[in-house]
Amino acid sequence: MKTIIKVCLSVCISLLFVSCDEESISTPVASVTVNQQEFSINETMVIHFTGVADQVSIYTGDNMHKYDLRTESNTGFVVNKGLFTYSYSVSGQYKVVCVASTYSDKAEEIRQDTCSFIVTVTDDVTEIDKLSCAQVLYDEVFAQKYPNDEWLMVLPRKVKYSTAAVAIPLTGQRLKFYIQSDSTKVLINGNPYVSATKYNLTNPVDIQVTSNYGTVRPYKLYTIYYPEFDTFKLNGVAGTVVRSEFDYSYFEIGVTLPTGTDVTNLVPEFSLFSPTDKVYIGDVEQISGSSAVDFTQNVSYRMVSTSPDNPDMQAESTIKVKVKNQ
Amino acid sequence: MNKSLFNIILISCSLLVFSGCDNFLDKEILGNSTDKNYYDTKYKLQSALNAGYDILQSDLFNECEWRFGEATADDVWGGDEGLASQMGQLVNFRFNTSNSWIADRYYINYKGVRRVNQVIANVDKVQLSLPLYGEYRDVREILGQAKFLRAFYYFNLVKTYGGVPIRPEVETIDNFVIPRSTAAEVYAYIEKDLREAAIMLPARYTGVSAGKVGSGTAIAYLMKVLMYQATPGEPSSKWKEMKRLGEFFIDGVSMTYGDILKYDEAQEDWEALRKRLWFKPQELNQPTDPYETKNTQLPALQNAYSLDFKDSYGMNITYLDQFTGAGEFCRGSVFEVVFKESADGSLGDTNEGSFLYDTFYSSSPQIWTTQTIIQDLFGTDPRRTYMIGHNSYAPDGTICVCGESRNVSLKWYTPIKERPQNGGDNSKNRRVMRYAEVILMYAEALNECGEGSRALIELNKTKSKANTITGATALYVGGGYGYMRDQIWKERRMELCYEWDRFFDLVRQKRAATVIKEYGFLRANKRGFYFREGINELFPIPQNEIDISNGVVEQNPGY
Repeated sequence: MKTIIKVCLSVCISLLFVSCDEESISTPVASVTVNQQEFSINETMVIHFTGVADQVSIYTGDNMHKYDLRTESNTGFVVNKGLFTYSYSVSGQYKVVCVASTYSDKAEEIRQDTCSFIVTVTDDVTEIDKLSCAQVLYDEVFAQKYPNDEWLMVLPRKVKYSTAAVAIPLTGQRLKFYIQSDSTKVLINGNPYVSATKYNLTNPVDIQVTSNYGTVRPYKLYTIYYPEFDTFKLNGVAGTVVRSEFDYSYFEIGVTLPTGTDVTNLVPEFSLFSPTDKVYIGDVEQISGSSAVDFTQNVSYRMVSTSPDNPDMQAESTIKVKVKNQ
Repeated sequence: MNKSLFNIILISCSLLVFSGCDNFLDKEILGNSTDKNYYDTKYKLQSALNAGYDILQSDLFNECEWRFGEATADDVWGGDEGLASQMGQLVNFRFNTSNSWIADRYYINYKGVRRVNQVIANVDKVQLSLPLYGEYRDVREILGQAKFLRAFYYFNLVKTYGGVPIRPEVETIDNFVIPRSTAAEVYAYIEKDLREAAIMLPARYTGVSAGKVGSGTAIAYLMKVLMYQATPGEPSSKWKEMKRLGEFFIDGVSMTYGDILKYDEAQEDWEALRKRLWFKPQELNQPTDPYETKNTQLPALQNAYSLDFKDSYGMNITYLDQFTGAGEFCRGSVFEVVFKESADGSLGDTNEGSFLYDTFYSSSPQIWTTQTIIQDLFGTDPRRTYMIGHNSYAPDGTICVCGESRNVSLKWYTPIKERPQNGGDNSKNRRVMRYAEVILMYAEALNECGEGSRALIELNKTKSKANTITGATALYVGGGYGYMRDQIWKERRMELCYEWDRFFDLVRQKRAATVIKEYGFLRANKRGFYFREGINELFPIPQNEIDISNGVVEQNPGY
C-alpha cells in the first residue's frame, strides 16, 4: 500500500513539473487563398487564411494600408476566423500582404511569417445605364435603349406649361449620362462631354465612351420629335391643337364647322413636319386631300415618325380629332 | 478489516453523492411560465404582442432610426461628424463592418422580429373558453398586429442591409445560423405578412386602442414596400399594384380579401387559410356569425383618414399639432409609436421613450439644419414657418436656444404644456407614417403608370392643404414624367422632412449617391463625399454576424 502511495505521489509531482514547463511557440505559416486576383471597382475580394497563426492581419496595399509603410501609420486589418473580405474603390495594382503571428504568453516573444500577392483592380465601365435630355423646359426626358448601342431620344416639339406652349429646339439640348463610374470619359462628336453644354441633336450624335482602363465603346444617339400635324383642316377650317402637358405623344385637335355640315364623309387636308412621317387610322394609311373619314364620332389618328438616318428608330403619337358644329 | 471497511464506506458515500446530483438537476420546475405553456389565453398572447410593440419605444430603436434615416442624408448637419467616433464614421460613409451603430440597428430590429415571432409561433396554443366569433376575432387581431410588426422590422432590415436571414418562427439551439435570403425573398415575406394583416385587422383602431396598427396601416406599408421594390422610370407590376391600393385607400374603389392576398386556390385552401389566420372555422360558425370569403370586401379606408388638420375627435388642430400631444392619433396619422410619460409609474424612463425630442430641440441638438438647406428645401412654401432658429420663439412663446446659426424643426418640439416632468421621458408619440405620405405614394405610382394628370391632383392635395397655413395659393403645375416625378419628390421632401426617412427615400429613388455626394462637396468636412455608388446604398452586415456564422452569413458586395 505504501509503495502504491509513493508511486502515485511521484507521478503527481512529475506531472506538476511537466505542467510548469514553458509553453513553446509554434512556427507561424502565412498562407492564404483569394477568390481572384483581378477585380473591378467595388468588387469583393475574399481571402481565406489557410496557414498557422495565433493572429492574422492583412495589409490591402491601398492608401493607408500599405505593408511597406507600416512604420509610418499605415495599418493592416485584423482577420477573424480566417475570413477577410474587402473591396477597392480606386483602380490600380495593389500588393496584399498577409502577416501571420504567433506569440508566447505576455507576448514576450513574437514570431511572424508573411506572404503576399498582387491584385489588379480595373475600372472598365463603358455601359451607359440611362441617357436623358436633362432640361426639356423643366422635364427630364429619357432616351430609349436599342440593340447595338443605339439610343433613341424622342422629344416634343412644344411643351405645354401652364397656359403657354414652349418650343423645344433640337439644336440645343443638354445631355445627361448615367454611368456607374465617375472615371469614365465621354466624347460627343469627338469633343469632351460637358454637362452644361447644349448639343445639336438634329443629326445623329456619335458618343464615344472610354473607361478608365482604356476600353473604348461607341454609341449613337438618334433624336426625333413626336409626330404631329403641322396643319390640319376640314372643309378649309383649321383645327386647334390641344397638347397634353403629361403625355407628349397625345394631342387633341378640335375643329368647329358651320352648323349643318355633313361630317360623315370629310376629306381632311393636313401637312406634316417631316416627309418620313406617316398617318394612319388603325392600320390604314391616310393621305391628305384624298382619304375620306367619318367624323360623327371622335377619330383617333396614329402617326409614326421615322428617323431619316435609321428606319428602326421610330416614334408614335395619337391625335384625337373632335369635330363640333357651331 | 477496519481499514477495508472504512474504504468501502468512503467509496459508497462518494458514489451516492454523485448519483444524488442527477435527480436534482433533472427535476421539473413547477409553477413557472415557459415558452411551452405560457400562451394559453388571449390575454397572455396580448402581453407577448405588447413586448413586440415595446421595441418601437426603446431608446436604441429610435436612436438608430434618426441616425440612419436622417443624420446620414442631406437635410441636416450633425454634432458628431468627426471620424474618431462610430457615429462620425457612419455619417461620413467611412465606417468599417464592425461599426457599432450598424450592429445596433441590426440587433434591435431582430429583437423585434424575435418577440413577434413568439406571438405568431404560439398563437395556436391559445385555448378559447367559448367558441365565440368575438373570441376568434380577438386572437386574430393580435396575430394580425404581430404580422404587421414582423413585416415592419424586416422592412427596416431589408432596406438597411439588403437580403437578410429570415429567422424561423421557432428558434432552436441547433438552428442558430441562418444564411441570408435574397432581398426579393425578404420582400416577398414582408408582403405576405402585410397582405394577411390587412384582412385580419379592422380599418383603424380608435379610443383606448388607438395605438394599435389596423388594416389601414398594413396597406399603407404594403404600398411603401412595393414602392421600395420598384425602380422609378421602369414600368413594373409593383407600381401598378401600388396604384390599385391607392385607389382603394384614397379613392374608395372597393377591394376584396382575395385581391389583396393575391389569393391562389392552388396554393392554399381557403378554409385552411381562414383557420391559419384565426378566422372562425366554418364548421363552428353560428348562423349569426359572419363568414369571410375571398370575395369579402376589405374594410373601407376612404373615410378613416384625411389630410384635414383634425384630432381624433374631429376637432380642429393646427398643422404643427399633427406632431404634438394634442394631435396624437389625428385624422392624418397612420402609424404612431406610442409614448407615455412615466408609463411604468416611476420617474425613470423604462418603456416610455427617451429624451429624443428634447435632444433635438435643445441647446446642443444632435442634428440641426441651416438656412441654406431650409431655402433649398422649402423656398417660399408655408411649411418653412415650422423651422425655428436660435433665439426665435416657438408658437407657445418659448424661446429656442439651439446654438448660433442653427435651426431645428418644430416637428421635434414638445410644447411646454405637454412636456414631461422627467427629462428622461418622452411625452408625445412619434409619427412614423402619415396619410400625407400615402397620398404622395399614390401620386408617384400614378405618375409611374403614365397617369400624370391624376398624379397632379393627388400631389396638389397635400400642397393645397399646406397652403392653408398662410393662405398661399401656389400649386404644382402639370408636366411630363420627369417633371412630375421631380415635383412629387420635392413635395415628399417638404412634407415628410425631419421624420427620419430621408436617406432611405433617396436610396429607393436611386439617387442617393448623387444627392449625398453633392451635399458632401459643399460641406467643409466633406461629410457624404465618400459615398460609394452601388455600395453604400446598403450598409454592411455586422462583422460579428459573419464571424460567428463562420461565413455562412455572407457580406454585402463592396465591404
